[in-house]
Amino acid sequence: MDTANSSGQSQADLLVAVQKRKQAQFRMGVGATWGILLLILIFLFSGKSIGSYQTIQLNTEFMRNNLAFIGGGLGQTLFVSILSILLAMLLALLTALGRLSTFPPIFALSTFYVSLIRGTPLYLQIFFFFLALPQLGIILSGVLAGVLALGLNYGAYMSETFRAALSSVGKGQREAATALGMTPLQTMRRVILPQALRFAIPPMGNDFISMTKDSALVSATGFVHELMWRAQKVGRAQFNNLEALLMAAMFYWVMTLLLTFLQSRLEAYLAKGDR
Amino acid sequence: MAPIVRISNLDKYFGRLHVLKNISLEVQPREVICLIGRSGSGKSTLLRCINFLEEPSGGSIEVDGLTVHSHERGNEHRQRIHEVRLKTGMVFQEFNLFPHMSVLQNVIEGPVTVKGMERSEAIALGEKNLDSVGMLFKRDEYPLRLSGGQKQRVAIARALTMQPRVMLFDEPTSALDPELIGEVLNVMKKVAKDGMTMIVVTHEMGFAREVADRVLVMAEGEIIEDANPTALFSAPKDPRTQALIERYRTGGR
Repeated sequence: MDTANSSGQSQADLLVAVQKRKQAQFRMGVGATWGILLLILIFLFSGKSIGSYQTIQLNTEFMRNNLAFIGGGLGQTLFVSILSILLAMLLALLTALGRLSTFPPIFALSTFYVSLIRGTPLYLQIFFFFLALPQLGIILSGVLAGVLALGLNYGAYMSETFRAALSSVGKGQREAATALGMTPLQTMRRVILPQALRFAIPPMGNDFISMTKDSALVSATGFVHELMWRAQKVGRAQFNNLEALLMAAMFYWVMTLLLTFLQSRLEAYLAKGDR
Repeated sequence: MAPIVRISNLDKYFGRLHVLKNISLEVQPREVICLIGRSGSGKSTLLRCINFLEEPSGGSIEVDGLTVHSHERGNEHRQRIHEVRLKTGMVFQEFNLFPHMSVLQNVIEGPVTVKGMERSEAIALGEKNLDSVGMLFKRDEYPLRLSGGQKQRVAIARALTMQPRVMLFDEPTSALDPELIGEVLNVMKKVAKDGMTMIVVTHEMGFAREVADRVLVMAEGEIIEDANPTALFSAPKDPRTQALIERYRTGGR
């Protein structure tokens, strides 16, 4: 009896060990391939030659000299992105709640806003704030105009995320709250929103990551000195666009990798909290 | 004694479907009423009309001296519905505990948020009710960690902590594994013994026979039989009732 039991136990242990080994092998394979691809990429821009073929030669002196200048835009990029995402979250929440309203003007305001923003290009919206508003005598600072444009744009898209999160909370929850005598406002605040926000956090992380890159569009206006603007400025001036853009790309990429890592940690944390 | 619940000429339509047909019913204080009938007979809808989770299409509902007519509108009407909800506690088939709150938070949420009760007072009351349903030992646990029977017992404690005059049960054991039904029924018996007025929609014939003062049989939106359980189960009058009871006998429940 005892031996059968313990051999059954070790059988399970064995299976778990095999499973773990397979997972580890997969992770190692993926990591190694990433490393090789990265090395190929680096080699491609190393300027070394294989036989008569020459890889791309970068102006490393230019890169060293301008690293600090371009990297200095990182703060501005993050600053604009964070402010924009905060504005977008506020607008998205209000819009999603507006979509639930039975009061026609509120419902209409929400759908009108989403339709208008989603029906026009982000690039146009950004220029609207920089170039069209001054014609009406409204002159905003570069950062403010950029934040307004990005925030309004992402708010419209994110409202759909919030709407899905709100409707993912079961009907029984609303009924239980109503049966306890809660008003619609109390039901929303105490029961629906806390559950919905948890569903909304992972997709909001995605939106934030894509916003850090879309913030590059505000560089086109020339008033926000973030990564992209700086790369273009030094790249054009000395005709080293290749180097300048590559450097900016690396900054964006590393930033995205870091944010993705943080997001996966946040998701794991939220999943653990799912009691 | 004046009835604590009085339903008069209640009608309910879902679209064109006439699900409750001119129902009138009086429930006395401390009475335990079981509503039985096949699914689709309207028994859950009738129960849900009492606390206005379903809006009646016609007729009126009176709970503890407070009357709401279905044709009324406006703020005063809404206020009266709110007060009726405070006088009724509801237990759902699917428990509907708040998953983001601990057991104790679930139980005190209503009294604190809706009634504005002192937190300490609500906790004392909530703990007393959790104890009476045998769930005090899980007071800081979250609902996901509880079995179905435990969830339903917490849901009963949550409804009781609002100190209602009437408890409504909507198929409280239908979502439970068979071995968990007993613990919930026992708690309900205890609540009945403590003198609570109860209206129970159920398929548990044993419970109806043992605990109910009256059993109402519903079919096609009407109450077709209204009798004490001994009379009803030994000599059902309507052939539909006979068929219903026969089916449960052969089905083993």
